Amino acid sequence: MSIVNNSNPILKASSLCVDIKNNPILKSLSFSVNAGEIYALLGGNGAGKSTTLKTFLGFNSPSSGSAIVAGMDTTNEIDVIRGKTAYLPESATLYSHLTARENVQYFLSLAGIKKSENEIDQAFKKVALQESAWERQMQTYSKGMRQKTAIALALLRQAPVFLLDEPTSGLDPVAIDEFNQLVRELASTGATILMVTHDVYGACQVADRIGLLRNGELVGEFDAPENGRIDTDQVHAAFAQRELA
Amino acid sequence: MSYLPEQLYREWQFMLRQRYILVLLVCTFLISGFSVISGLNEVDQQLQTIDRLKLADNEDRSDAQAKYNDVGLLAYYSFHLTYSPPSDLAFAALGERDIYPWKHRIRMLALEGQIYESDAQNAELAQAGKIDFVFVLSALAPLLIILLFHDLYASERTSGRHDLLVTTARSSFALWGARVAVRFCSVLVCLMVPLYVSTWLSGTSGVSVLLTSLWCVVYLVFWTVLSVWWGKRASSAPRVASGLIGVWVLLTFVIPILGDLAINQTIHAPEGGEIVLTQREAVNDAWDLPKKTTMDAFIATHPKWKNHVEMQSMFEWKWYYAFQQVGDQTAASLSQEYQTAAKRKYELAGYVSFFSPPLLLQRHLTHIANTDAVAAFEYEQQIREFHKQLRLFYYPWLFTQPEIDKAGLAAMPSFDDVVQNWPEGQSASGAGSAPQIHSIAR
Repeated sequence: MSIVNNSNPILKASSLCVDIKNNPILKSLSFSVNAGEIYALLGGNGAGKSTTLKTFLGFNSPSSGSAIVAGMDTTNEIDVIRGKTAYLPESATLYSHLTARENVQYFLSLAGIKKSENEIDQAFKKVALQESAWERQMQTYSKGMRQKTAIALALLRQAPVFLLDEPTSGLDPVAIDEFNQLVRELASTGATILMVTHDVYGACQVADRIGLLRNGELVGEFDAPENGRIDTDQVHAAFAQRELA
Repeated sequence: MSYLPEQLYREWQFMLRQRYILVLLVCTFLISGFSVISGLNEVDQQLQTIDRLKLADNEDRSDAQAKYNDVGLLAYYSFHLTYSPPSDLAFAALGERDIYPWKHRIRMLALEGQIYESDAQNAELAQAGKIDFVFVLSALAPLLIILLFHDLYASERTSGRHDLLVTTARSSFALWGARVAVRFCSVLVCLMVPLYVSTWLSGTSGVSVLLTSLWCVVYLVFWTVLSVWWGKRASSAPRVASGLIGVWVLLTFVIPILGDLAINQTIHAPEGGEIVLTQREAVNDAWDLPKKTTMDAFIATHPKWKNHVEMQSMFEWKWYYAFQQVGDQTAASLSQEYQTAAKRKYELAGYVSFFSPPLLLQRHLTHIANTDAVAAFEYEQQIREFHKQLRLFYYPWLFTQPEIDKAGLAAMPSFDDVVQNWPEGQSASGAGSAPQIHSIAR
């Protein structure tokens, strides 16, 4: 277990405190994520994982400390930050009356991004969304298919920063493996990825580093060894201990 | 495609895929179309009635003039049609024309009774009101706006898309601004296209169309801003909808009705029937009074005929018409009181309308369409002026030469001449009639 210091992180929380309705949710949270790194913020229910993510997205304002994305403070330059960030919500409810393609086209247009039909097809293939579903209205989709569509959208945005909220929730094991593979490919292209999850096994499979969050405080960090994965048992034990403590 | 058209086009395409919005817009178009068609039919009926009555009126008067050589009989049996034709925008704002009479057949008898013996053709219809464009715009359009905008934010929040949308959109305008603009323009077009087609068919003046459009846009912007603002603050669409409908009920019904009650409690005025009764009692009593009493009262206001009041027989037409005049004089103070009170009520209703945008809109549009209480009062004043001219025409004959010089009848005043020579805005200073509150609350 170690605290990693990085000189030029893309995502950085510095003594970040966030209160919601006068309740302190994040208490002096500090961590950072470098370019090309996958960081998993692990914690139980109510630990402050989603609040952290939403603070980086500008939906929560720090009561003290700061949340920095690519050198920009979320309190001052949130529009620019959002333009550089692809967000994947836990339950990606896209428009059910539109097809997957129409949904992706709509959201890309909102972002001011132009992609060809072929590029969209490639993204669908990459997330393993079956071709027969591309032109179907999403009301017929399973949760996993909706999640894959949202992931395709995030990929097509080609953002340098990815913020993923429980990204594998609702996916079957095969889809989770495919997703992990995708995330690693993204990181290999230099993308910075922060994911929040309570899935210890999933986090260990994909993350370069894991931060353990409890009651709004970072209580530990785990680094992956060179060319290896973080030891699940070690993280699980720490997670369980902390939860029991 | 540049930025703005691109955002609007995307949201337009997106809106076209939302069936409930399309249904709402089609309903808006149909309701607006129905209201203007209904208004056009009503105006057409009024114009046809006026044409029919004008023809019959001329024939009746020609018959009377051919039949009677006695001036008193001629004056007694000659009716004169007065009317207030609907303006070229009246189809959109029928206003007070279903409450106040817009036609009267007047003769040389006492006038007050003829004016206040309203000839509203169908009291039940007047009570229910008509679905004209102003009613649709002022009372129904806010509901359509509320339905279109109340869940703009809430539906995205409850479906879990809000954060994804906000973080994806390159600007707030690209998302919310474009959505609001497209929906607003769509509902505006659905409301206004039937109106514009009708104004074109009716030959409505450009200024009237422009002013009407301006008021419509301002009014719809008010409800849109309110709905969007409220929707942005709350998370539950049903809560937003119920809150906005509460405001709609308050502004459209509660404030006008309470205002009406308060005004009627504050301002006391004689009833029209009271004026009619007073005038008729004065006329009926005159049969039993000494003729000198009547003639003295008449001469007090018409000294020109003081040397011609002597009567040679028990009945003479000059005495008969003198006591008709005295009947009006007896009811004059009540009539004046009625008009002053009505003017005050109208003014107070104007203050109430500042707290009720639907009422304010209705007042302005009926004013542009010349169908408001001010127009009704103006018509009443034109009748008074015409009747005055009629008396001045007949009195010389009645008091000096009872035999008719048929050639001289060509100089008989006509109501059309009175209207043509009527100075514009003459009635504005004396504007007075009942407030328009009833029609918004109907």
